[in-house]
Amino acid sequence: MNATSFRTAKAIEGRMLTFDIGSEAFAIRADCVREILEVPHVTHVPGAPAFVNALINVRGTVAPLTDLRIAFSLDSAKHNEDTRVIVIEELIHETRETIAILADKVNDVCELDGGQVEQAPAIGTRWRPELIEGIGRKGDRFVIVPDIARIMGEYVS
Amino acid sequence: MSGSDPVAAFRVEAFELLDQIENDLLDLGQDLGNRALVDAVFRGLHTLKGSGSMFGFDALASFTHHCETAFDRVRKGQARATAALVGVILSARDQMRALLDETIAPDEAAQAAILAALQAAVADDGAATTAPAADAANVIEDATRLTFRLAPSAMANGNNPLNLLGELRELGATKVCADLSRLPPLDQLVPGECHIGWTMLLPASVTRDDIEDVFMFVMDDMELTLEELEPASAASEIIAVAETGTAAPSQARTPSAPAAESVRVPAERLDELMNRVGELVIAQSRLAQIAAQGGTINEIALRAVSEDIERLSSELRDTTMVLRMMQVGGLFGRFRRLVHDLAQETGKSIEFSTEGETTEVDKTVIERLADPMVHLIRNSCDHGLETAEQRIANGKAGTGQIMITATQTGGEVIITVADDGRGINRDAVRAKAEAQGLIAPDAVLADQDVLQLIFHPGFSTAAQVTNLSGRGVGMDVVKKTIEGLRGTIRMTSVEGQGTRIMLHLPLTLAIVECMLVRVGSGCYAIPLSAVEECLELPASEAAGGKSRSFLDVRGELIPFLRMREAFATDWPAELHQKIVIVGAGDTRVGLVIDQIIGNAQTVIKPLSRFHAGLGTFSGATILGDGTVALILDVGNLLASAQRQSATRAVGEAA
Amino acid sequence: MTASILAVDDSPSLRMAVRIALSGAGYSVTEAGDGVEGLSKSNAAAFDMIVTDLNMPNMDGLTMIREIRRSSSNASVPIVFLTTESDDGIKQQAKAAGATGWLVKPFEPDQLVRVARKVLGR
Repeated sequence: MNATSFRTAKAIEGRMLTFDIGSEAFAIRADCVREILEVPHVTHVPGAPAFVNALINVRGTVAPLTDLRIAFSLDSAKHNEDTRVIVIEELIHETRETIAILADKVNDVCELDGGQVEQAPAIGTRWRPELIEGIGRKGDRFVIVPDIARIMGEYVS
Repeated sequence: MSGSDPVAAFRVEAFELLDQIENDLLDLGQDLGNRALVDAVFRGLHTLKGSGSMFGFDALASFTHHCETAFDRVRKGQARATAALVGVILSARDQMRALLDETIAPDEAAQAAILAALQAAVADDGAATTAPAADAANVIEDATRLTFRLAPSAMANGNNPLNLLGELRELGATKVCADLSRLPPLDQLVPGECHIGWTMLLPASVTRDDIEDVFMFVMDDMELTLEELEPASAASEIIAVAETGTAAPSQARTPSAPAAESVRVPAERLDELMNRVGELVIAQSRLAQIAAQGGTINEIALRAVSEDIERLSSELRDTTMVLRMMQVGGLFGRFRRLVHDLAQETGKSIEFSTEGETTEVDKTVIERLADPMVHLIRNSCDHGLETAEQRIANGKAGTGQIMITATQTGGEVIITVADDGRGINRDAVRAKAEAQGLIAPDAVLADQDVLQLIFHPGFSTAAQVTNLSGRGVGMDVVKKTIEGLRGTIRMTSVEGQGTRIMLHLPLTLAIVECMLVRVGSGCYAIPLSAVEECLELPASEAAGGKSRSFLDVRGELIPFLRMREAFATDWPAELHQKIVIVGAGDTRVGLVIDQIIGNAQTVIKPLSRFHAGLGTFSGATILGDGTVALILDVGNLLASAQRQSATRAVGEAA
Repeated sequence: MTASILAVDDSPSLRMAVRIALSGAGYSVTEAGDGVEGLSKSNAAAFDMIVTDLNMPNMDGLTMIREIRRSSSNASVPIVFLTTESDDGIKQQAKAAGATGWLVKPFEPDQLVRVARKVLGR
């Protein structure tokens, strides 16, 4: 427990995959990551919410492509040579889904400093706190650990 | 099929067994004296009990045991098979089915009632008492002298005395002596018989159970004495025969986990699949060899491999598809019971027959076909067939016929539900449709169109409401389900002679021939079975805008949807846009698209739950270049076109 | 060399249970779905042991045991039959037919393996 913190700290076990979207750094548990791809051909799904309005072919599986930018109201960026697709498997409402996440840049797999995150403050961030599992640190950067199941769950029918 | 979960396998097997028992019972109901059927039912119950107890379905095993015991009296000729008995065992069968489903709490009251009825049906109390297993685990005091001699036939029965001696040695036998006193002279010696006896000393710690364990299979026919050496109290004794079978605790199973879906596949089909995979592996290694050669590629060899792989992948696809195919016989079998029950409920005499049970259809189609077929059969029993009196008055046989058949022609399977009842009274249908405002009183309709009114939502021809009809699903739901399976319904009916409803269904849902079209920058697939024709969009309509969205095709007004607008594309429009007219039944709609790309065989991939709710698309497919294309949900487009023309009609009337 | 065992049962799940238990103990298992198939497989190859159900369509276990005992290829192979406790007197019939031993259903995989070790001696 971090004695200087007023907020509750929470242990985050295991290794995390860190990636950038815009100027923000994100981290997700490495063990749910299946693979990381260069951006393949993307099929637009008319009428679908902007967060998940595309499909890609991941080795014969048709996977929805999601854009965390929408969930976290970040500026959209053009795809460049660093843009990657992170393919994860996650339990969404008790069913396992293969989901692709768009990232501007994938950094590395590491443990967050102290192996812990702090609860996101209810005020002071522009994001809905319930979408965030916590905020950790890696070196001099804050790293957002999004609650993937929760975010995805909001878009599942 | 999961190859390693016997519990799941048992459940599949038990359901089949119960269906078989039901069929045999229904046959037995028609032919009460049939010994073979009595045996078949008994064997089914017996197997169910035995396997059920093996896999931890104790309640099922115990309930089935009681039924088996009662039925055994019939088998042994102590009781007669009667219609009442068949009825009771049929309801017992339903209980057994419920006991297989762990999500349903066992209905003990119902079970007790069934067992009581069963006892009554087999005349007297047939309670079987099982002898309690002897429980003699007392330790033999001090050292014990064991003397034994196997029955002469023991070796012929596959017993090996050396194995028994080996086990006794493991128990700590010492001073083992062979007793050759009964060895016959050589000329009388039968080599397969055992003539040698043995004596030995066993340590005090050896229990009777241990010794019984060693001799468990030969105990009945052998000579065996045990002498306790100190204190030398009792005379030699022969250990009583006791069954050592103890009830095995059930294997761990997780009741809450939903049973994984499994398909039973004949072994030869798997072999075929394995052969193809084997060939594919060889082709792959040839390809790797060519790739590893470096320098100039041997083009001929490469082409040969490419052709092989092309052939193999198409064969693999076909073989794999076939794995999903199931015979319709299992589905048809379920309806016998339905007709049996309906006949009793309505008091009508009904003969039920089936044909083409070996016709194979995709598993998914079979599963989704069950409900609509139940409805069609109910309709036939309830509305189609007349009472015996009415039939006889009309010069027909008193017993009505219901026949279901399956045939395969080309890429589709036709399932027919036919009855020889009163047929459909066109005037009644018209009157009803007029009363409901479905048609204008003076509308001129072709005969087929009158019949199709039956499939209109909410339409019901029942002059009287019986407890069989109108249970929620109407013919419109039947039609919707069949169309959801990419099938169509056709119907013929002759008044006074009967009705025949034909369900035309695709062989498989997994592969569908599609037309690929471009709208804006996106490529979409339209199931070819729904495509009726393709036209060029007249220049007068190309501008889009607010002009009417109906197209005059040879005098028929067809509504059309501008897919560019529907998909909100800002990609430049093609100069000559096309219209693809799609239809199902008598509803048609034109889809305005940019370009027709061509046809392709596509494997349907379901959409994730993110997109399943959109409704516009029925799935996705992966094209030859690896990109994903969405498959248009034609049924949904037709429905929205209908809504559009309805609002348009209202708008024009205003 | 591993002992080879023929499992004869009309219930695929029971065959599966037998196969899993015995192959787990290092035996090689061949399956047959009824007495006829069991007999033809036992005539075609030599087995070290046969495990069979008694109640089967086409040919029941008792008939199959008699036929096997009459044959030459597996005349003295140990044959263990599976039975339920309510099978009154069936053991006597089966033994008269030539069965070596039996196992009462329900049984644990271990029990089957013990019986196999017992009649095979390995």
